[in-house]
Amino acid sequence: MSEEEKSPVRRKAAAGLMQYSPENIVPFGPVHPALKEPEYFKLVLEGERIIEVYPKIGYVHRGIERAAQDRTWVQNIYLFERICGICSFAHSLAYSQTVEGLSTFEIPRRARYIRTIIAELERIHSHLLWLGLVGYWTGFDTLFMWIWKDREHVLDLVESITGNRVHKSFVTLSGVRKDLPDGIGDRIRTEMNYLEKRVDFYKELVSTEETLLTRTKGVGRINQEVARRLCPVGPLLRSTGIARDVRVEDPYAAYDEVVPDVKSSTDGDIASLIVLRLEEARESCRLVTHAMERIPQGPVRLTVPRIVPAGDNASHVEAPRGELIYFVRSGGKMLPERVKMRAPTLANILTAVEMLKGRPLADVPVVLTGMDPCFGCMDRIAVVDVNKQKEWAIRGEELRQLGIQYYKKGNMQ
Amino acid sequence: MTTAAILVEALIFPGLTFFVCIAFLFEWLERKTAARMQGRIGPVVAGRFGILQPVADFFKLASKEEMVPLYADRLVFDFGPQLFFAAPAMGLVFVPVTGPSSILSDPLDLLFMLFILAFSALMAALLGYSSAGRYSIIATGRLVLQYTGYEIPMIIAMVTPAVLAGSLSFDGIVAAQGTYWFILLAPISFACFLVAALAELEKPPFDIPSAKTEIVAGWMTEFSGRALAYVKLTKNLSYVFLSAIAVALFLGGPLGPVLSGNATVQSFFYLLYFLIKLFAVGFCIFAIRTALARVRIDQATRLFWTVITPLSLLQLGVALILR
Repeated sequence: MSEEEKSPVRRKAAAGLMQYSPENIVPFGPVHPALKEPEYFKLVLEGERIIEVYPKIGYVHRGIERAAQDRTWVQNIYLFERICGICSFAHSLAYSQTVEGLSTFEIPRRARYIRTIIAELERIHSHLLWLGLVGYWTGFDTLFMWIWKDREHVLDLVESITGNRVHKSFVTLSGVRKDLPDGIGDRIRTEMNYLEKRVDFYKELVSTEETLLTRTKGVGRINQEVARRLCPVGPLLRSTGIARDVRVEDPYAAYDEVVPDVKSSTDGDIASLIVLRLEEARESCRLVTHAMERIPQGPVRLTVPRIVPAGDNASHVEAPRGELIYFVRSGGKMLPERVKMRAPTLANILTAVEMLKGRPLADVPVVLTGMDPCFGCMDRIAVVDVNKQKEWAIRGEELRQLGIQYYKKGNMQ
Repeated sequence: MTTAAILVEALIFPGLTFFVCIAFLFEWLERKTAARMQGRIGPVVAGRFGILQPVADFFKLASKEEMVPLYADRLVFDFGPQLFFAAPAMGLVFVPVTGPSSILSDPLDLLFMLFILAFSALMAALLGYSSAGRYSIIATGRLVLQYTGYEIPMIIAMVTPAVLAGSLSFDGIVAAQGTYWFILLAPISFACFLVAALAELEKPPFDIPSAKTEIVAGWMTEFSGRALAYVKLTKNLSYVFLSAIAVALFLGGPLGPVLSGNATVQSFFYLLYFLIKLFAVGFCIFAIRTALARVRIDQATRLFWTVITPLSLLQLGVALILR
């Protein structure tokens, strides 16, 4: 039996695909210039217009969750950081928070503030990176180059605080690894001033540059009804007017004292996503400066036991792309029993697919990446989409069936 | 002139070899300008300021293995690149470079030039179809659609100077610009020609048939090795070709102040004027290319049909009155 015959879910997906002649199906990926990471989208085209999209995920499944069960609690911080090269701090922070929730110690206030600063710097860098890529996808290379040059300022700042540019390796259980370097306050202030000016400039540029607007205005529009049905997270959700943010709703780190102003927009198209992300980046600049002003003195970490008390805990942070959820089960040993994560891209991918339908092929890179996909983050589990009356839905029973099939094949170790 | 002399002129100077060198220089200048505008450095390795980088790229590509898709139409796939290359190489012979007259000239030059431009687009479409790749086929569809958009305004824009000069030969058009250049009489035509040239060259904002983030390398996706080297060289040569046409039609070709009574020395000055104008036009194209994002194919065709074509027609009407 072929793989498709064995699984009812896959069979349905294949049957959905088979009603179209193969000439109309254009592969987008797994390796494609528009995608930073491998992921496969089968696009059914009618001329230039997309009538159906079949995403196939799992190309960057690296078995990290399983690997976590063979590593100690502290080692895992550095492992989970490597899930994503962009929001690495969000992953290590979410994991540490979840593990810290099982223990009783109080995290030093200074450490909370430092975590907030790094998390916000990461948000600025992630949003700028994304906007640069939008420039690249719309063929506006100059925007791409300019923004990435400004992004270097953030990366340099992060490097001088943590010692690393990408994988910061900065969070540790009970705090952060080291204190802020001397005299960094002035530097942060000047850099943030500079970045605020640049972000304002880019905001003006993206809302006046005609060729960019023709490519983004009204493209990939979703409304609140679609958003409520498909549950996207992060900027994608906020762009429809639903202003939800973990930082405000369930404050972690120092967000209870440094309160962000949650931005939202009502247009729900790519143009509004661009402006929204720029506004968020500007808000992050303000938060960093604000946190720097209020940061208290004190220790940045504690000496904590290597064994985490038994129990289950789940926690979440607002990663640059949206809500990032971690679940940890501890058996009171040196190693975790199970760690599970849900990355924002997984929550967003079905919405992106919905946004693509009916659009011309030229919009694929812009729309698909409008959600700021991070396939490396997403590929933890296999989710197969089912095509029923042209509607995307994952039904519980099918998911259960999928689970049974999955384990039957001996995929679990 | 003897046949041998014409052959030497056509193949070496100021013909093919000369223009191929200019084409490499154009690519280098384009990359360098774009890099500087974008806050980068650009090529630096090969030669001084990286000036030999396009040549190095050409030879590297030419020495690479050639892959032919299984379902490709071998006849077109194999011979297409050469024919594609022949189009601008042949057209450049009719452009005056070192003096008021070109190497070969004919009273109906301009019509032949229009044919060459159409032939070039046809070859690109054939090459795309012959490689039988999915990206290539989509790109070819886009190319042809774009062609229907830009060809008519381009022809109208090219005919306007001919109307003003009352001649269909390049020599005649250049000679008619002795007192003032046609860009002064027909500025809109010049602008329309530049926009159409951007579309013909597949440069942003009209790089739709080769949009790398959507359809990989467009109709060139399946080409590799020598064929790709040729196709890329041809695109650069077309770049020079279209700039040279713009110079001849609107900027007075090689004409300029006569500084020497000696014919040989003066032809050197003519060459200098020609090159300055050529690089000025090329630079306009680089600057537009760097400053804009890519539009969609429907937006591009709408722009050509509703804005560029009426504008060029308007200018043609004005030219008919001015004449």
